[in-house]
Amino acid sequence: MSGAPSTPAIAPPPLATLRTVLRMQRGEQAKFAYAACAMFMSAAFLYLVPLVPQAIFDIIVNDGRNASALSRATIDCIGGADAVRNELWRPALVMCALALFAAVGVHLKSRLAMGAAERIARKTRDQMYDHVQRLPVATLDRIPSGDLIQRCSSDIETARNFFGNQAPEILRSVLMLLIPLPIMAMLDWRMAIASIVCVPVMLAFTAVQFRRMGPSFGRKETTEASMTANVTENLTGIRTVRAFGRGAFEKQRFEQSSGAYRDADARLYRLFANFWSVSDLMCFTQQVIVVGLGASFLANGSLELGAYFYFLTVVTMFIWPVRMLGRMVVESGKALAAIARLDEILREPVERDLDPAAEQARPAADNSRGMHVVFSKVCFAYPGGANVLDDISFDLPAGKTLALVGPSGAGKSTIIQLLLRFMEPASGAITIDGETLANIPRASIRQRAGVVLQQPFLYSKQLRANLLAGVRAASAHDGALEVATSTACIHETILGFPEGYETVVGEKGLTLSGGQRQRVAIARALVANPRLLVLDDALSAVDMHTEVSILAALREQTARPTRIIVAHRLSAVVDADLILVIDGGRITQRGTHTQLTQEPGLYRTLWQIQTEVEDFDLKSEVAT
Amino acid sequence: MSGVHRVDDSQARFSLSVWQPILKRARASPRAIIGLLAGGIVVAGIETALPLFVARIIDEARKGPDAVLTPTLLAYAGLFVLFAIGVWVFIDAAGKLATNTAHLLRRDCFAKLQELEQAYFDVRPTGWLVSRLTSDCSKVSGLLPWCLLDFAWCTAIVVAVTVTMFVTNARLAIWALAAVPVMAVICVVFQRLLIASGRHARRLSSAMTASYGEMLLGARTTKALAREEANLAEFQELSTSMNFWAMRSAILSSLYVPLMTALAATAGALVLWRGTSDVLAAEGVTLGTLIAFMQFAALYAQPVQELSQRFADILNASSAAERIQSLLATSPTITDAPHVRAPDSARILELRFDAVDFSYREGIPVLEQFSLTVTRGMTVALVGATGGGKSTIVALATRFYEPVAGRVMIDGVDLRDRPLAWFTERVGLVPQVAHLTAGSVRENIRYGRLDATDAEVERAAQRVRAHAFILALEHGYDTDVGEGGERLSTGQRQLVALARAVLRDPEILVMDEATSSVDTATEQLVQGGVDEVLRGRIALVVAHRLSTIRRADLILVIERGRIAEQGTHKELLAKRGRYFELYTSQFAADRERQILRTQDAPEEKSVATLTLEEE
Repeated sequence: MSGAPSTPAIAPPPLATLRTVLRMQRGEQAKFAYAACAMFMSAAFLYLVPLVPQAIFDIIVNDGRNASALSRATIDCIGGADAVRNELWRPALVMCALALFAAVGVHLKSRLAMGAAERIARKTRDQMYDHVQRLPVATLDRIPSGDLIQRCSSDIETARNFFGNQAPEILRSVLMLLIPLPIMAMLDWRMAIASIVCVPVMLAFTAVQFRRMGPSFGRKETTEASMTANVTENLTGIRTVRAFGRGAFEKQRFEQSSGAYRDADARLYRLFANFWSVSDLMCFTQQVIVVGLGASFLANGSLELGAYFYFLTVVTMFIWPVRMLGRMVVESGKALAAIARLDEILREPVERDLDPAAEQARPAADNSRGMHVVFSKVCFAYPGGANVLDDISFDLPAGKTLALVGPSGAGKSTIIQLLLRFMEPASGAITIDGETLANIPRASIRQRAGVVLQQPFLYSKQLRANLLAGVRAASAHDGALEVATSTACIHETILGFPEGYETVVGEKGLTLSGGQRQRVAIARALVANPRLLVLDDALSAVDMHTEVSILAALREQTARPTRIIVAHRLSAVVDADLILVIDGGRITQRGTHTQLTQEPGLYRTLWQIQTEVEDFDLKSEVAT
Repeated sequence: MSGVHRVDDSQARFSLSVWQPILKRARASPRAIIGLLAGGIVVAGIETALPLFVARIIDEARKGPDAVLTPTLLAYAGLFVLFAIGVWVFIDAAGKLATNTAHLLRRDCFAKLQELEQAYFDVRPTGWLVSRLTSDCSKVSGLLPWCLLDFAWCTAIVVAVTVTMFVTNARLAIWALAAVPVMAVICVVFQRLLIASGRHARRLSSAMTASYGEMLLGARTTKALAREEANLAEFQELSTSMNFWAMRSAILSSLYVPLMTALAATAGALVLWRGTSDVLAAEGVTLGTLIAFMQFAALYAQPVQELSQRFADILNASSAAERIQSLLATSPTITDAPHVRAPDSARILELRFDAVDFSYREGIPVLEQFSLTVTRGMTVALVGATGGGKSTIVALATRFYEPVAGRVMIDGVDLRDRPLAWFTERVGLVPQVAHLTAGSVRENIRYGRLDATDAEVERAAQRVRAHAFILALEHGYDTDVGEGGERLSTGQRQLVALARAVLRDPEILVMDEATSSVDTATEQLVQGGVDEVLRGRIALVVAHRLSTIRRADLILVIERGRIAEQGTHKELLAKRGRYFELYTSQFAADRERQILRTQDAPEEKSVATLTLEEE
């Protein structure tokens, strides 16, 4: 009960989910089939065990005159009445052996089913990981990450539990109920019917009860969530709380929200108390019926002692699993809902290149030259939205530098994203070295381009591993690494870290400042010796002096890649061969720095601010 | 920080002291404890009695048609009703005990957190603390009743069954008990192995979750680097070892459970073997007794299994218990000394830093020999690079921290000689990110002074020019701002925080100006509020807005924990030094921002150009 399920019951999912279940267990059918056989075997043996004492009671203890055929057969199997009477260890040994067989069956069943479930879970974890990381950027932006993580962790766990425990348990409960039926019927049909009269009632009761608890589970969850929100709110604002001396007030507030959660949780316990005690009572009613009816049959001589003993024992063996059956079925409904949620993600289309083998077949690209990038009349719009980019055309020859300038949200980053095939243009064409971009595999274009995004991400590993993250060949030597980090002005900084290049960064290690992260990311792009270098506002957090050094070092690179620089500071773009001013998704101005400062427009306004600052008019300022 | 992160389930020793604070709070629910123990004992007693009743029924029924079955059967059924009542009582009691203990633990942990000083929070991520209060408290409290119940139930049933058997037939009882030592050994061995592999699996499971998180966070970078395959390979290392430990657990438990049931059956077989000969030899053993003994023998497996399971649970939860215990045992370092005394005057006329040294970590000084005097009515703007020590100065002024050397003084008296509550009452804070809580706008403003009337709240809002926007909200002052104030815009949230500070009417006002870009109109609006808040107080501002800086009475350029330059705006500009440099680039940045409507650079505390990278 302490492990009460935490999600409210969800309506049974449609047939599609069952198909998903079948697909997920593909490759494990044999294991599940064996597990089912083992289950059958163990249940059968379990019900054979009490046959031994029942035969003993009928034939050895009683005189055996009215002994059933089953008792005689059992005694004959053990070696005949005389042998058993003289050697009572024989039936004991047979009982042990039967119990052992049953145990072996249970073991095999658990091992096979749980093993298969673990393999399914592992496969699904890997599959989800790979699938999610290959989802298009647009999809990833649409689905909240918390939701995705939840599906990858707890939904897979629920699915694993379903395959390894719930589904086998449901089958086992059914088998435990069905297998003794013929034996019981053979022994005494009246008792057989009496033994199962309560079963349908119990099944209905448990299923209904668990469904009814749904709202209470929901209530527990909402109160818990609001309590957690309360704590989080308090702790994030702990400075304000302290500064205003509001400890007492906050305590009172928390006590309320914690109390509400306590009450909701206690209410659920109460429901469980009701459920378990009532269902216990139902099980007992069944037991009392068997004991009472059997005793009266025994007294009037219409039932043998052995058979009576058998019914007494067996009724407890199947009645308790029946009690769990209803619960298990309801819980499986939730598991199926979890599986449906997983399937929903796996159905999201991933970025797929038409021919994965194409990359291998491609002629080795000329790595000594930069890329030649041409955009002609490129438009882009999100589905159902207005154009984000409109009629973008430019020709960027190999080895040249293109700068994109303009307000945020103007579409500069969208151009970069189209170039990397994060998204596809709605119309127009992009060519790389004369080849249509849409025909170039994504991996290929991304491997050849070195991209530094505005908010670069570093993996939680050593700096060296981060820097080499984009390098395919294992041969990248320290020399190349150092050249790259020196160009990005981060080499000295790294050496200053406690463990130098082996320092672990990110969540589990050292926290780098925004500027440091950007410089590491620039170095990471450079190490791979890209043919196209894209700096998407990648110097925003770097101070002015360092920016100047980095730009100078980039200019002196020997194998010059083609470069695209998105920048807010004009200092980064003055040397560009071509500057595009982007506003509202269109190119509003194009030219070199010299040309653009000559004509009125956004670029000149920006440039004037810079100049204004440089000849800062102290007098006017002092006069105000 | 890493020390905090890495506290995991490594603790495998049972130590009672760690559980002491939990048990203490459990004692607050005596009725639940009694209910649990009584329920457990009653149930155990009935479970022992049932086979005896069946034995009597059998022996009676064998008498043939003259058998008198009804009274025994009725009693038998009655026992079941009693049993069901026992079950109801102990589950309900378990619920009361578990939920109430969890509540008390949470309450006390929360209260403790309200007392602890800022430094405690600096090294502990909020998420980490939240899970102490949520999952840890639930985990240990959820375990408690079942442990109590099982100890009661197991003890009762073992004692009851053993005594009953020995009283009935000592010789047969020994046979029934023969398998118990083997069961105990198996339980101990298997639980130990299961705990170990379970711990590995849990560690890997959280590593995998972290890995999923990283994958999502770095999705764009991964795509740009085209390193999906390398990522997957790294993830597969995790999922493979997870698979290994999970399989190990699965195999262990697939052996454990059937072994125990087989042993229980063996015990039954032993009784059948010895018992049948006794029955045949007519040595005082009736058939009913034999059948009862067979059930007793099998009954032992359950308490043995339950007990070992509970021990395993306790071990698994002991690290959670330890974390709770250590939180509750932490005592705040910033407290009132015995000699503190509130002054006669409610006013504070002067705040002075006297040669203050401060460091967050030993050996890395943040402030050195910092001195500053601020008098009433004066606004001091702190400018300079992030990490220079500006925020530390304001934190010292609010006594979030205490100086390592030197003194912070109010009206010539060391802050440490004044009562904390007295001082706190006279301080107002406007943090960088306005901290709003779910509730109405009114409640959020009233947070500044809980006994303020509605009229006072509205007047405060009017003074910071927040009144108009508040009235325009759906329910005016009664509009729910949502969690963290999410339903308001950034600028609106800042105005609410300002109104709150004005309502408080503090002697000392400390403000950490927001840097997040708001549109020009909102910025002007907020600026009006800021001027109102600062007027006529001792005001310390970590300033980012030009207008705030320009209007300050004194500007300090803080670099590497020292005052690099100080003076008024005009004086400093005339110097053409560091301030001039900062100011001009800030000026350019502000202008550019207006034109380009840019967002701030990631995670930088101030506008990018104002930031001189600190290494």
